[in-house]
Amino acid sequence: MQQKTHKTLYSSHSWIGIISGILLFIVTFSGIPALFDHEIEYWQYPIFSEQQSKQQEKVFDLERTIQASKEINFQHEKFFIQPANDINNHIIFAHFYEDKEPDLRYLNASNYQEFPPSPSELNHLLAHLHTDLHLPNPWGRYLVGLSGMAMLLAIIAGIFIHLKWRKEFVMLRPKRSWRLLLTDQHKLLGLWSLPFTLILAFTGTILGLLGLISPILALAAFNGDVEKATVAVLGPRAEITGEYAPVYPLNTLFDQLEIDLPNTSVELIQVDGLQASASDQHTELMADVGGIIKFSGYHKDKLSNLETVTYNLTSGEKIHQGSFVGKGPFQRIFAAVTPLHYVLFGNTWLKVFYALSALAACGLILTGNILWLHRRGHGMEHWLSKLTLGICGGLVVATSLTFAGSQILYGLNLAPDSGLHHHAEEWVFWSSWLLMILAPFVIKDGFKLSHYLLRLTSIGFIVTLLADGFINNRWLWLTEGWILTIQLSLLVSALLFIYLDWKMPNQVSKKS
Amino acid sequence: MSVPNKRLGERLKNIIDSHGSKNTAAILGALITTIALTVCITLIWPFGDVIEQIFAGGTFFFVFWAALFYWAILATNGRHAWLRILSVLVIAIVIIIFSLLIK
Repeated sequence: MQQKTHKTLYSSHSWIGIISGILLFIVTFSGIPALFDHEIEYWQYPIFSEQQSKQQEKVFDLERTIQASKEINFQHEKFFIQPANDINNHIIFAHFYEDKEPDLRYLNASNYQEFPPSPSELNHLLAHLHTDLHLPNPWGRYLVGLSGMAMLLAIIAGIFIHLKWRKEFVMLRPKRSWRLLLTDQHKLLGLWSLPFTLILAFTGTILGLLGLISPILALAAFNGDVEKATVAVLGPRAEITGEYAPVYPLNTLFDQLEIDLPNTSVELIQVDGLQASASDQHTELMADVGGIIKFSGYHKDKLSNLETVTYNLTSGEKIHQGSFVGKGPFQRIFAAVTPLHYVLFGNTWLKVFYALSALAACGLILTGNILWLHRRGHGMEHWLSKLTLGICGGLVVATSLTFAGSQILYGLNLAPDSGLHHHAEEWVFWSSWLLMILAPFVIKDGFKLSHYLLRLTSIGFIVTLLADGFINNRWLWLTEGWILTIQLSLLVSALLFIYLDWKMPNQVSKKS
Repeated sequence: MSVPNKRLGERLKNIIDSHGSKNTAAILGALITTIALTVCITLIWPFGDVIEQIFAGGTFFFVFWAALFYWAILATNGRHAWLRILSVLVIAIVIIIFSLLIK
């Protein structure tokens, strides 16, 4: 490669990294809890684990579920049902309003009895940071998509500028200068996590920017009609006529899925057009003749989460089927995007591997930023150094403190439907992050502050385990299953941050 | 050419040749050209049904954007970067017009 080309690529790699680094860190780090969304949801509310059934095989009774929705006065024509999954043994009903909070109800999947919704929304708090940065829809998602594109561009340049990759794969010189240590760590982390970061950047960019490019694609194929394009891919919407008829036997339709959607795990059921109110709750269910029921899920053997089938609610006629298995290569690529990004395949160890790789990517971004500043002779006094440490380190601290806060709040016995628990979690998260962002402007010694942040993070995780034990009586040696898995993950995280605190130098080596 | 016009021409040439111009070509020019190429691919993709065409365009979007970005950034100056971008853009627009006329 010509020296000029190498220099241009190197320059592009550095500038893309420094411009998007902090945002990329936020998106990448928040991706770790987002990866374990269902597991954290199960752990965060002790009542969820009490809903577990002793039966080995869970049988989903759709008719009884719909009937139960009427019994708990969940009166909506259009709603979603999320059946129980491998982790959670509860069914969720959801109706979304345009101008207020959604109506969410929880049913035990074994006895179809309602139980109070989770006062904690820790999983949503962290997952929404990853998907939308808590910004208004769709701008947050676009920003996340653009950061993915920046990551993709930085990776491409990074591949071409690191020509001595065989040597760099194992090169770490901890006893040399601070700059060499940072350079080696940056290259090591980048090379070892390369396949993973490449997959995540590509799939994340598609997920983030799909909304933005949809009109372009619809322009070419459907004369700009996005709605028509959406219907072609995901199936039709209900056509409400105002004329009602008895609902087709829903369990028969659910059984039909074995033929129409074989080897598919149904994750979501959309009902539109069911008669909202019935005079007698146990009478036959009625629906609009144009009403629909749509089953969506992911294929158990192939990488596709876009498997759907739509039936008419009253006639049971199959209106649309969207399967991406066995289709053209580009349909299969798109169907594989979400499973590849959120690990909807493989086992827990694969998720753990993804999480470790995401952590490596966080280290890659941090070392890249510090290296850029160090090469230009900027120390901790530079505003970008302060922001990098405050925002990135602060997010890690805020996450661990919110985990702790989420469990401590159960000790206060806040009313479940008041929303206070959730609001207090949000308050802990945002205020502790803001405090940490301001900390570098008060504590000038960056190394000292980094040690404080690492210790605070590990303390946060340890306090979480202690609070879970004291308040919920879920001590590590008493728990099992997913609760134990999450608790062990918290313990390992605490130990990791203690180790990083121990290994982190106290000042820049004089050799640099 | 009068002296003020010559100066204006030189200033314009300097602006077009500048790093800023090259970066604009790599970011904005590449994005616009990518949109045109995506429409182009979606219109002329010969394999599969209309959904396959849509997803072919969607997948190539990010590949085109990344490729055009680096093709422009590796140009010697801003003018060359814009020439590279515009050459692809013109071809894409011509193909779009022809395929729409045939449709």
